[in-house]
Amino acid sequence: MPSPEVRPATRLRWLAAKEWRELVASRATLVVALCVGPLVGHAFATAVSLYGEASGAGGGPAALSQGLSPLDGIVVPTFGAYAIAAMLLFPFVGIRAVAAEKESGALSLLVQSRADLGTMIAVKFVVLLAAWIVAWIPGLVALAMWRASGGHLYAPEVATVLAGHALRGTLVIALAFAAAAVTDGAASAAVLTLAVTLGTWALDFIGQVRGGIAMSLARFTPDSVIRVFEHGELRLDLVLATAALTLVLLALTVVWLRPARSLPWRLGVSALLAASAALGCVSAVYTRASWDASEDRRSSFAVADERMLGTIREPLYVTAHLAPDDPRLADLERGVLRKLRRTLPSVHIDYAARSATGLFEGPAEHYGEVWYRLGPREAMTRSTTVPIVLETIYGLAGLTPPTPSQGNAYPGYPHVARIRLVAFLFYGLWPAAVFLVWFTYRRHPKLLEKRKRPETTDLADRS
Amino acid sequence: MARLTVDRLRKRFGQIEALRSATFRVEPGEVLGLLGPNGAGKSTLLACLAGLLLADGGEVRGEDGQVVDPPNRRDALVYLPDAIRPWPDQTTEWVLSFWRVMSGANDDGWPSIAEVLGLDELRGRRLGTLSKGERKRVLLGLTLASPPSVVLMDEPFDGLDLRQTRATIAMFRELAAGGRSLLLSIHSMPDAARVCDRLVLLNDGSTVAEGTLTELRSRAGLNDGADLEDVFLALA
Repeated sequence: MPSPEVRPATRLRWLAAKEWRELVASRATLVVALCVGPLVGHAFATAVSLYGEASGAGGGPAALSQGLSPLDGIVVPTFGAYAIAAMLLFPFVGIRAVAAEKESGALSLLVQSRADLGTMIAVKFVVLLAAWIVAWIPGLVALAMWRASGGHLYAPEVATVLAGHALRGTLVIALAFAAAAVTDGAASAAVLTLAVTLGTWALDFIGQVRGGIAMSLARFTPDSVIRVFEHGELRLDLVLATAALTLVLLALTVVWLRPARSLPWRLGVSALLAASAALGCVSAVYTRASWDASEDRRSSFAVADERMLGTIREPLYVTAHLAPDDPRLADLERGVLRKLRRTLPSVHIDYAARSATGLFEGPAEHYGEVWYRLGPREAMTRSTTVPIVLETIYGLAGLTPPTPSQGNAYPGYPHVARIRLVAFLFYGLWPAAVFLVWFTYRRHPKLLEKRKRPETTDLADRS
Repeated sequence: MARLTVDRLRKRFGQIEALRSATFRVEPGEVLGLLGPNGAGKSTLLACLAGLLLADGGEVRGEDGQVVDPPNRRDALVYLPDAIRPWPDQTTEWVLSFWRVMSGANDDGWPSIAEVLGLDELRGRRLGTLSKGERKRVLLGLTLASPPSVVLMDEPFDGLDLRQTRATIAMFRELAAGGRSLLLSIHSMPDAARVCDRLVLLNDGSTVAEGTLTELRSRAGLNDGADLEDVFLALA
């Protein structure tokens, strides 16, 4: 029976509509949407209160105003609620999107349709990502309320935090899809997803304590990635590594959902995809491009220092004899090494402490020393502060340190906000609105439908 | 030339040999019944034919005699599995429209299919709120709206009342007269006798007989008064 051709764009539109309708009708979505409002509201109210106290609310002395950054004080804690949602709530929405069609038999019909399975998964992914972004509404409303109260926001750093949460959303969705595809039911998929989340936490912990390969791998866990973005730093290596993992997980989803494939075939392709993911992450490590979007330029040296360091063409070798969990190493990493990686064309860092804690490494083994080598010259300092380290490097390079500029210091933004209606908006209005939309759709599903009879539907869309 | 030729199809699930050797053909414009006791391998056979399960051996050939690989079978045939409950939150009207776009369905003949299955009265209801029989009617509608000329259905009358069953049988006969081929797995012998032109008996994963009721009677050594149940018990 010959059939008229349907334009691929029409099919995509219907697939996207199906995903959106399934999402809106799902109880998993309802629970996530209901929870997000109060989570954000509580985080925002706490952040505003603490920021106000630090700014001298109640007549007390304000803390050093230079240290008061809305990025750390308001934006990151408010959107921190989404880190919880991404870890513990949103994966179940992603799992449901795949598992429900597997378990109900809908997938057995869909794979017989004209649409390609890869396209179906891609559409599912895009729709869920859109839903994740829609879930930011309470967070964005909170920031708007902060701004309306006279609080300061710096758009590039807010955008960077949002980009981090979007990136995390892509990984969470892809992981949930893959877990649902590989396992035989939603419950098993949930266990697998939580196991992976716990695994990344364990990797973070081991990396901090033991260093070595675990520390290198831990740089790509979702928590580590979001921390970088929360510092207002946009790093291409993290974007590429997360994108590679996301693509591989989506490909795994297709491999395990595709019917009529043998187990050895699925395992073989999965192994190839895992190898591709590893290769993608390793390649990403060598990508050095990054942008410091923070207003206080916390991931950058002073402009004059950056210019001066930019003239050093030789590779700089740094050997840090500090244990991974030594707070001095954390200081050095945050204050110096991260900035050196961004500024110098070539930096090689060796974390040389032999024990995990450094407790049993005596002075003869150089514990606590940080060595800098530039060409044949090398120097050691135990300091982890920027001026001393830079002085050491300038000394090795034979450069005269630039005169510190006083003009562009970050002013800080102390602000005591009196924001009303937070509880009403986030604990009352948002959950009520979400429930009303969901309930209305459940009771009147035809509200989202085109007013056409099935006999005539989409005839106009056929080419 | 047969529209579909199934040759020694095999499928094993671990230690269980679900299909040992299924061999039969589907002719153009016929309703072919697939009969067999529980565990005979009927559903596995249909899923393998549709390309939803990977057969361990055997071949499926198209009208031109060429082997049709599983990924290419969706152009040649469509399969409705038994006991599926897709998209419970969507309305009948929307699901039918969605499926007709996704399958590239032709609108020819659709009004009569929708009328026979009584789909108009279910238009505004969500699939999850439909009874078993009502859901079956919607799923039959989805399947028959699909363009492929070979239609495989697992227990198409399961859940339908007597009136609906009779109307559906008449519609199947009409579709077959129009050139479509239907392969139906049916456990109700009276329904099978009424709707099928020919029958395939499957037992323990193998085809034990294929032919019209008269041919099967003769093969079982039964007289003309024997009905399909007698034939089934004699052969299966």
